[in-house]
Amino acid sequence: MVAPARPAAPAPASTVPLKRRKAKADEGVITVGRSRSGTILANTAGIVFGVFMLFPVYWVLNTAFKPADEVLALEPGFWPSNPTFDNFISAFKAPLFLKDMLNGVIITLFAVAGALVVGFLGALAIARFQFYGRKAIILVVLVVQLIPFLSLLIPLFLMLQNVNLGFKTFNLTNSLIGVSITYLVLILPYTVWTLRGFISGIPRELDEAALIDGCTRSQVFWRIILPLTGPGLVATSVYGFIQAWNEFIIINTLNSPDKQNLMAWLLQNQTTRGTAWGPLMAGAIITSIPVVIFFLIIQRNIATGLTAGAVKG
Amino acid sequence: MRHGKYPFIIGFLVVPVALYVTFVVWAYIQAFYLSVYEWSGLGPVENFVGFDNFKKMWDDTTFWQSIKHNIFLLVFLPIITVVLALIFAFLLNVGGGQKGGVIRGVWGSKVYRIIFFFPQLLALAIVAVIFGRVFGPDKSGMINGLFPDSWSPWLFLADERYAMGCILVVLVWQAVGFYVVLFSAGMGNIPTEVYEAAAIDGASRVTLFFKITIPLLWNTVQVAWVYLGIAAFDAFALVNIMTVDRGGPDGATSVLSLMIYRNAFEFSQAGYASALGVVLFFLTLTFAWVTLSATRRESVEA
Repeated sequence: MVAPARPAAPAPASTVPLKRRKAKADEGVITVGRSRSGTILANTAGIVFGVFMLFPVYWVLNTAFKPADEVLALEPGFWPSNPTFDNFISAFKAPLFLKDMLNGVIITLFAVAGALVVGFLGALAIARFQFYGRKAIILVVLVVQLIPFLSLLIPLFLMLQNVNLGFKTFNLTNSLIGVSITYLVLILPYTVWTLRGFISGIPRELDEAALIDGCTRSQVFWRIILPLTGPGLVATSVYGFIQAWNEFIIINTLNSPDKQNLMAWLLQNQTTRGTAWGPLMAGAIITSIPVVIFFLIIQRNIATGLTAGAVKG
Repeated sequence: MRHGKYPFIIGFLVVPVALYVTFVVWAYIQAFYLSVYEWSGLGPVENFVGFDNFKKMWDDTTFWQSIKHNIFLLVFLPIITVVLALIFAFLLNVGGGQKGGVIRGVWGSKVYRIIFFFPQLLALAIVAVIFGRVFGPDKSGMINGLFPDSWSPWLFLADERYAMGCILVVLVWQAVGFYVVLFSAGMGNIPTEVYEAAAIDGASRVTLFFKITIPLLWNTVQVAWVYLGIAAFDAFALVNIMTVDRGGPDGATSVLSLMIYRNAFEFSQAGYASALGVVLFFLTLTFAWVTLSATRRESVEA
């Protein structure tokens, strides 16, 4: 139980301060209208649902630490009687595992870094300037973002096959670059939208004060807005990371196994090595670890991150 | 101050807009263009057929079967997910009753918050692999393994009647945590005075839920509904990985997105796949538009 063992972390920030404040102000108000049986019912519902949510994850961990004979035993045990790391070792030794892991890291870093730079600039323009076509840009991006990406796979494939840069044409299918750029574009609208929310939250008075004190506009962006958007950049990059790291449909279609990521690797191995559940589950855990770590880092701010783009008009 | 605004705007926007136009807008234009060709997906695009691909679709039983399954998901995925998420967000935030006059969540609500969000962290690829085990059709399957040996095991995904239901369960399982967190954030913004005032006036939990929480959260619920509906139009990843024969048994789990993928990359019918893509494009937009305009109502100020 890796992550669930961390309940001590505080709840999302948005709810807590309000209640703490109330606790001091309202102590001693009479308790009314709440039945004890209702409380029991509510708690029971919570526990049942919690088990439903957690059970599959528990089963993955359980399987990953079991030796092969226990995994396939007809009476599945609820705890590995001889816990072992063999499955993890054999996942690491499996063909292409390390290669695909490295591919995933490269692609994700490129896509996230690219989307942050490009997206920050776009967000600045949208948040800080009024210009002709601004509403149209926002609308098109938000609407198109709704449509399942799948209908774009064929045109994407065609485009990447034949990238004409004037002096030479490149074939970017089956390459890390092609996928990286695709992922960058995939997470870009989200990045722009969220960062725009964070930038809108910075009072314009700060810009104006700096301008009066003799800053140029570029200095305002670099010295005022960029540092203040810091937390926003972190939150956005984590979401971008999760998106890019977890994607497998595009990479599976565009690239051959040695140019894919761990998600595609998992699926490949599910079909080819059907019953080797132990190593497969171990692989799944290894694959999820980066995401879980990032989640725990931003866990406090998760609600803020989710709503930041939505609320600032 | 206004002087020299446009160089900045153009400088900032040129890269993101160029990327987006090339990879998304232009790609959609191409998809529309391809939809009127009968084209295998290899070699030069030729053989203009007008609307033949759409006529073919009209007569294609797999297409109607897929639409039926998409509608099944479209109806049940948002309802079940939103209801569950609202109930649990409510439990986590105000369900625990009052202590010292303060409305609180149920016991352990901080733990639940993390547990509910957990499925969100697992990639769909992993979720699909896990639930392949959950729904294993023999005694090694997680659910079947819980029951005595004398019972004949459920076939789950291998049974036409239940296969789509299994997909729905997984979709709900995966989505619900995100919406619990989203609704919790919304509820956190509702002043606790409102609840406390109602509680003093004798409102039960149920009344609080329907008369305060739902009206004040309506905008968020609306957005959630649209997102989930769109997820129902997609559902490609799970169906592709989990189902028997991909879309089986006997087409019992085929969805539109799966048809697009298979026609494009397996049946060498890229033109037909593009036509299906065009249909998916308009279905999604129509759905979003209808939902947003049908559920619009005066938002209540908190």
